[in-house]
Amino acid sequence: MLAAVRSNILPLFFVLLFGLSFTTDAYAQYLINLMLVYVVVAQGLNLILGFAGMFAFAHGAFMAIGAYVSALLMNKFGVSYLVAMPAAGLAAALVGCSIGIPAIRVSGLYLAMVTMGFSEIVQWILRNWKPVTSGTDGISVASPVFFGVELSDDFQTFYIILAVCAVMTALAQFIIRSRLGRAFVAIRDSEIAAQSSGINVARTKVLAFAISAFYAGVGGSLFSLTQHYINPDNFNLYQTIMQFCMVIVGGASSLIGPFIGATILTWLPELLRNAQAFQEIGFGLLLIVFVIFVPKGLAGLLIDKGILPREEYSSRVRGKWVVRKERAEGSERT
Amino acid sequence: MEIATLLSVGVSNGCLYGLVGLGLVLVYNAQGIPNFAHGELFMASAFAAYTANILFGLSYALSMLVAIVFAFALGVVVEFLAIRPIAMNRSLGRASTEVAIVLSTVGLMIAIKGLARIPWGDSVRKLPAAFSTETISVGGLVLSTQRLLIIVVAFVLTIAISLFFSKTSLGKKMRATSQNTAGAMLVGINTGHIYSATWGLAAICGGVAGILAAPLIFLYPDMGTRMLLKGFAAACLGGFGSVGGVFVGGLVMGIVEIFFGRYLATSMMDIFAPIIIIVVLLFRPQGLFGSRSAVRV
Amino acid sequence: MTQILKLEGLMVRFGGLTAVNGVSLTIASGEIRGLIGPNGAGKTTLFNAISGLAPASAGSVHLDGLEITSKSAPQRAALGIRRTFQTVQLVQSFTVYENLLFGLHTRAGNPLTRLIVGSYATPDADADAIIDEVLDYLGMRDLKHRVVDTLTIAHQRYVEIGRALVARPKLLMLDEPTAGLSPAQIERLDDLIGRLSSDWKVSILLVEHVIPLVVKLCSRITVLDRGRVIAEGTGAEIGQDAAVQKAYLGERLDA
Repeated sequence: MLAAVRSNILPLFFVLLFGLSFTTDAYAQYLINLMLVYVVVAQGLNLILGFAGMFAFAHGAFMAIGAYVSALLMNKFGVSYLVAMPAAGLAAALVGCSIGIPAIRVSGLYLAMVTMGFSEIVQWILRNWKPVTSGTDGISVASPVFFGVELSDDFQTFYIILAVCAVMTALAQFIIRSRLGRAFVAIRDSEIAAQSSGINVARTKVLAFAISAFYAGVGGSLFSLTQHYINPDNFNLYQTIMQFCMVIVGGASSLIGPFIGATILTWLPELLRNAQAFQEIGFGLLLIVFVIFVPKGLAGLLIDKGILPREEYSSRVRGKWVVRKERAEGSERT
Repeated sequence: MEIATLLSVGVSNGCLYGLVGLGLVLVYNAQGIPNFAHGELFMASAFAAYTANILFGLSYALSMLVAIVFAFALGVVVEFLAIRPIAMNRSLGRASTEVAIVLSTVGLMIAIKGLARIPWGDSVRKLPAAFSTETISVGGLVLSTQRLLIIVVAFVLTIAISLFFSKTSLGKKMRATSQNTAGAMLVGINTGHIYSATWGLAAICGGVAGILAAPLIFLYPDMGTRMLLKGFAAACLGGFGSVGGVFVGGLVMGIVEIFFGRYLATSMMDIFAPIIIIVVLLFRPQGLFGSRSAVRV
Repeated sequence: MTQILKLEGLMVRFGGLTAVNGVSLTIASGEIRGLIGPNGAGKTTLFNAISGLAPASAGSVHLDGLEITSKSAPQRAALGIRRTFQTVQLVQSFTVYENLLFGLHTRAGNPLTRLIVGSYATPDADADAIIDEVLDYLGMRDLKHRVVDTLTIAHQRYVEIGRALVARPKLLMLDEPTAGLSPAQIERLDDLIGRLSSDWKVSILLVEHVIPLVVKLCSRITVLDRGRVIAEGTGAEIGQDAAVQKAYLGERLDA
């Protein structure tokens, strides 16, 4: 019984949330929705940061592109949400590609600065391109209509968000287990070995950018549904850093990590009295403490303790910054 | 006339960017990472000066001294608590260590910002200028005394730091460590002390910029991020290498930015730094003056 | 006998430094060629130039009659050049099996999926069979699901060789495979390399510091010094060569 729970933990998580949705009040439902949105976004960041080992500092911006594209398509052109959401993901992926293609030219941590600069430019456009984005006033987001039924509250949108989150999780699992996922890890751990085994490093990096941005774009579109109103401040540096926190606290390069991270970091602000100062201190300290003391994140910790099952082939992956300390017989390595 | 005034504003702003960028370059050369918490050192020092001067009523000069000591202490403490444990962790590869350190500086960035928000988050504040006479007239040209002070201090500090690296024993040890950490340890240099000194010195650069800028700009907890970007831009233009390069990079940044802002649109001033960062890193990573071989890979 | 690898006047320059200076070399199919030379002779740079990691400044590289001078490292890997590294380059946190999967990255798959996502999405249907065959050959079947960084350095080198073999390469380049191994381990590896070329129908280019090993394994040896080929021949011929003695002796005196 327990073994069955352990090995099906993610499907059970979705079933549990589905069951809970019949008992929640409006606010709890809102938080559950938000949490699922962050699961999607954190999975995207995890793919590029945890698996491909690229320090992209731009996911707030990719999320903004998704949110604004889907909101504007629905508001201005009356496009159905079913079309607007994938379009949001694709728009973000396209921008991800176009920042990714030049960004792979820069080595190592210069990428952090280039992507941070890109985020600032997106922020600036959101604030200054007033005819389209309404600047800092933000825009309200229409409720999606499915077959004549308007999904106006969080109980109704929950079903869309849950379904999309499940699909994106399955997709992430597929990518991680595919050759592409292996190529991500190969370029993270040794670019020259990857090249010499026939992996096109540049194309793999651009794909990492595009896929990761696609997740953030879809996440941004879902985010706009939970908020009903979006403005540039939703997608500033703080947003990006919170996502870093989710990935690191949850466990980088683990499929289950983003679930743990997104859950904790969505509910934590409630405990921190929703005061911005305390949230910032809390998130900042969490990030530092985990990087220093728990670099595998909670998922890695739980896997090592045998509480969570080992994941396919990513189970032993501890993020690029972690190399296993316990060596069975590797003593002669230098 | 207007051009001359704009130029003086641009040069003095550029000196501030150069100082902030210098702090970034020091840490980058020592540890190979962009320090995302550097803007917060700038912000915290400005508030330290404000606290000493306004709340404790210390004289202006004494408050500046207090703020500089505070900046140095903050840099050293932050390095010891959040950077050292990662840098000294031998089980990590070099690339892994660097990513972990950057994540740690990102954590510091928002934690320090949050800490500042508790006492100072409610409104913007302002520090009085160093001199009671706000402007002096030089040959018909009206200059702000605070801006003159910025230019003078930035020049003196940049030269002092150049001399520190070329003449003093500690400076030479710092250069040796940044070029070959393992080698430095083998010849008996305590790299821990070197990193403390680097972060302390970098924090002083950011802190002095914060103190000097405080009378000109409003103080608020979010002021660090904008300055961080401009410091990055200055450092990129300077090629992330020499002390002089980043100073000139800051000047270029300050002057071009002010003219763009004046003749195109004020809002252009904020977009300028990220554009410079992207364009320079993508197309000329060695900076304006460097040779390509100097780029650290 | 067909020529698997042909280099003509190959040059590699880094800025002002010429690391490989006009190297011409042919390797026949099934041959084990030794490549020796003092430190800094340009052996690893030549390896990089052949595998595509270092761009050639002049000259040409042919693989099995096909000019590949302007092809990238991944393209050359797909065409059948595989190599190992002086310092082992494996994904340390992955198992042996998963590391061998990397070697199969370039295998042709469904043309439609290749068109859309390149070589990323082809299925691994028969991958297990290929990998098991290689592991059996290397005598490492029982280590299949071990994480690489729990293995000895000798086993890690076998994994690197295995990663190359799964792709059934035409040319296998081994860069100092014995570095860091004990004499007993060297003996086993030496035995393996001797069998590789006939068992897998692959030509081998071997860089090695242990000269007796090279003499024993390789029918012909190429000696490199300061980026140039200074001698080529059998082990006995090389041993008599004045230029070679000077290069090595000179090195010893310098050190």
